[in-house]
Amino acid sequence: MREEVIDGCLFSSMIFAGADNLDANRKLVNDLNVFPIPDGDTGDNMFMTIDSGADELSGEENGEVGTAAAAAARGMLLGARGNSGVILSRIFAGIADGLKGLKKADVETLSKAFLLGVDEAYGAVSKPVEGTILTVYKDAAGYADSRITDDSTILSYFDDFVKELRCSLERTPELLDVLKEAGVVDSGGAGFFYIAEGMRDVLSNGTSKAERSSSKTAAVKVDISRFTEDSELKFGYCTEVLIRLQRSKVDPETFDIKPLEAWLKENGDSVVIFKDGSIVKIHVHTMTPGQVLNYCQQFGEYLTIKIENMTLQHNEHYAKEEETWSKKPHKAFGLVSVAAGKGIKELFSSLGCDEVVDGGQSMNPSTEDFVKAFRKINADTIFVFPNNGNVILTANQAAQIYDKAEVLVVPSKTVGEGYAAISMFDENSGDAGFIANEMKEIVEGVITGMVSRASRDARRDGLDIRSGDYIGFAGDTVYVDKADRSEAAVSLCERLGAGNCDILLILRGEAVSEEEAERLKSELSEKYKKTEVIVMDGGQPVHDYIIVFE
Amino acid sequence: MLVLFTDSDTDITPEIAKEYGYRIISMPYSIEDNTVFPYEDFEKFDEHEFYETLRGGVIPNTSGISEEKYIRYFEPEFSAGNDILYVHFSRAMSGTFEAMDSAVKKLKEKYPERSFYEIDTRAISILSLNICMEIGDMAKRGAGIDEILKWAETEVDKFAVYFFADDLKFFKHSGRVSALAGTMGTLLGVRPIIYMGSDGKMTNIGKEKGRSKAIARLISYAKELGDDMEGHRVLIAHADAPEIAEELRQSLISEFGDKLNIQIIVVNPTIGSHCGPDSAGICFHSKHR
Repeated sequence: MREEVIDGCLFSSMIFAGADNLDANRKLVNDLNVFPIPDGDTGDNMFMTIDSGADELSGEENGEVGTAAAAAARGMLLGARGNSGVILSRIFAGIADGLKGLKKADVETLSKAFLLGVDEAYGAVSKPVEGTILTVYKDAAGYADSRITDDSTILSYFDDFVKELRCSLERTPELLDVLKEAGVVDSGGAGFFYIAEGMRDVLSNGTSKAERSSSKTAAVKVDISRFTEDSELKFGYCTEVLIRLQRSKVDPETFDIKPLEAWLKENGDSVVIFKDGSIVKIHVHTMTPGQVLNYCQQFGEYLTIKIENMTLQHNEHYAKEEETWSKKPHKAFGLVSVAAGKGIKELFSSLGCDEVVDGGQSMNPSTEDFVKAFRKINADTIFVFPNNGNVILTANQAAQIYDKAEVLVVPSKTVGEGYAAISMFDENSGDAGFIANEMKEIVEGVITGMVSRASRDARRDGLDIRSGDYIGFAGDTVYVDKADRSEAAVSLCERLGAGNCDILLILRGEAVSEEEAERLKSELSEKYKKTEVIVMDGGQPVHDYIIVFE
Repeated sequence: MLVLFTDSDTDITPEIAKEYGYRIISMPYSIEDNTVFPYEDFEKFDEHEFYETLRGGVIPNTSGISEEKYIRYFEPEFSAGNDILYVHFSRAMSGTFEAMDSAVKKLKEKYPERSFYEIDTRAISILSLNICMEIGDMAKRGAGIDEILKWAETEVDKFAVYFFADDLKFFKHSGRVSALAGTMGTLLGVRPIIYMGSDGKMTNIGKEKGRSKAIARLISYAKELGDDMEGHRVLIAHADAPEIAEELRQSLISEFGDKLNIQIIVVNPTIGSHCGPDSAGICFHSKHR
């Protein structure tokens, strides 16, 4: 038995290794795309999610598995991007719940925590779909749990876990037709497999890394000019010390931290103190760090000392945002939309969006990106338009954790749906709930067609798609496949009933020239005399044409 | 005798003015540094050419006229021994009436025996024109000034206008519509619905996506508020969008039958500078504004 228990240090190393292994394989995961166009980003999304968890662990002393798991979960929660990223963050939130308050965990405790992750992940989505990361994780956690015996080790648990992950992943096409048709396994499940594989390898190699090999944590810039000759010490010093209790001074085994904790609370706040063997870790915000150092030295000697003037920190992290927030005039409703492409972003701004979060099909925003946008808006209610099916969960997650305003997510799956709703937004039409319903109804009444270039051969919806062809699709259905882009757009319009629409809004992508789009407009206007055809320069990647049918 | 004046902001044309006996005060617009006085600087308004210029990205400015100009319109009538009734566009929409007031004040000092009457239509475009025509009818059948003023006291508020714009940038530029939805600039098929209240100002009361829905909304107001519509003219205005005007006409006929006296009017260039090309609207006799 090499590892009977897992502590915070090992847990951190495993997260680092999981992130690194996914990083090494993220392109592979991206390419597991059911659609034959280059818009897969699951690998990127999941990597950035776990990376954000790893960042939270970097540079922290994580002796206890409970605090390490909590830190990782917190980082992932904020960094979650895309549906797979949100589910990943929820898995680790469940695991952290199961490890809460523990210094170390044995195999059985760890397994129970992993099973909690299953419940938490399924709870994150309103309609769980089998054949995805959810199934893969559930199968693996269940299988590994069932294999636990008295001889089990953390490594043997992970061996079973990873083994079943792979088997379950290979079964995903049997559960989901879209995967079968595309001849791929589920990308989210694959991403999770690489993470778990990396975690397992730490155990089998016996190399536990205290730091990340690909750590991207930038040194926090401190602007010392913020504390001048005339500044007043308002926030004190964030003081963190690690003390090795000395036998010459106290009995390290029986040392009681309670009286020390009480003293610290009298001399500061935000006190965190715990003892791990003969090491005591202290975190305190105090006006007089010198006193803290002198006082604590009676118990032992310092291993590390970190003291930072929080006025600098405070300004850095909070002051600016709070200031801009309070300067904005307060209003009843704020609008946040997600868009990629200069033209589309401008479109949303001009429609009255307060904040346009960068992101779209191939670069999903994180929970934190949303929270940052919310913070810039001084409104009672904020309406969010994710404009992408893979961003809705993230928006929901951000809405849950933000508490300065009521946040209502209008589940728009395309920029077309978002445009249709926001362009009809009328703050005088009713209260927030009424408006949200109104917006939702509009979103449901819109069809968004897209034309993109196929990046590989595929057979789908009865069409033989060749790499380089232009496919016209709406939702998950490919309707047309043509060698010519405009032809694809025209046939798509016909298939989607453009003649019955009042308005056809065409957003041309970055690959399409203005002339080409204008020619398309004339052709469509000629063909559908009762329909208003409007062309805009969207400048979006991947989708050469986004056509909104209203 | 009583001489009738109105201004070009009411969409009156020289032909209509002649028919009802109006003199036209020309309200100017300018493109870059070139100021144009409708029906003084040209005889016939070429709406297509004008609105095409606007479609090309030009946003004209509009301005009031000077005291001297008002004196030049009014003095010949006073000196000839005539009284004046000026049926004008909304006072609430322009500062030009201060110049007019001061011109009238000076003229009254010079011609104390002469009378100057005014009726504020508290409107522009076809709503003002509809009132002008009604007053023209009355004058033609010999109604006196007292009867006309009394009629105006109640009837000015009994004509309603509802219209939609195609591109908000013109209204944004002119700042003449209140409650325009937030910062909405790009319309992309969304049409703000605007009406003129008894305060003589334009107010945005909602929006519709697409021409068909916008037309249906205008018709719904006529259905809800229309009052003795057959006994009065129903005017349709358009800013170089004859096909929308025709659609409006067809919709009115299919809703109210073919007994309506419908006339299609082109929005004059000065008001058109505010609402922009492809705007369209209807004016009908109504229970209230």
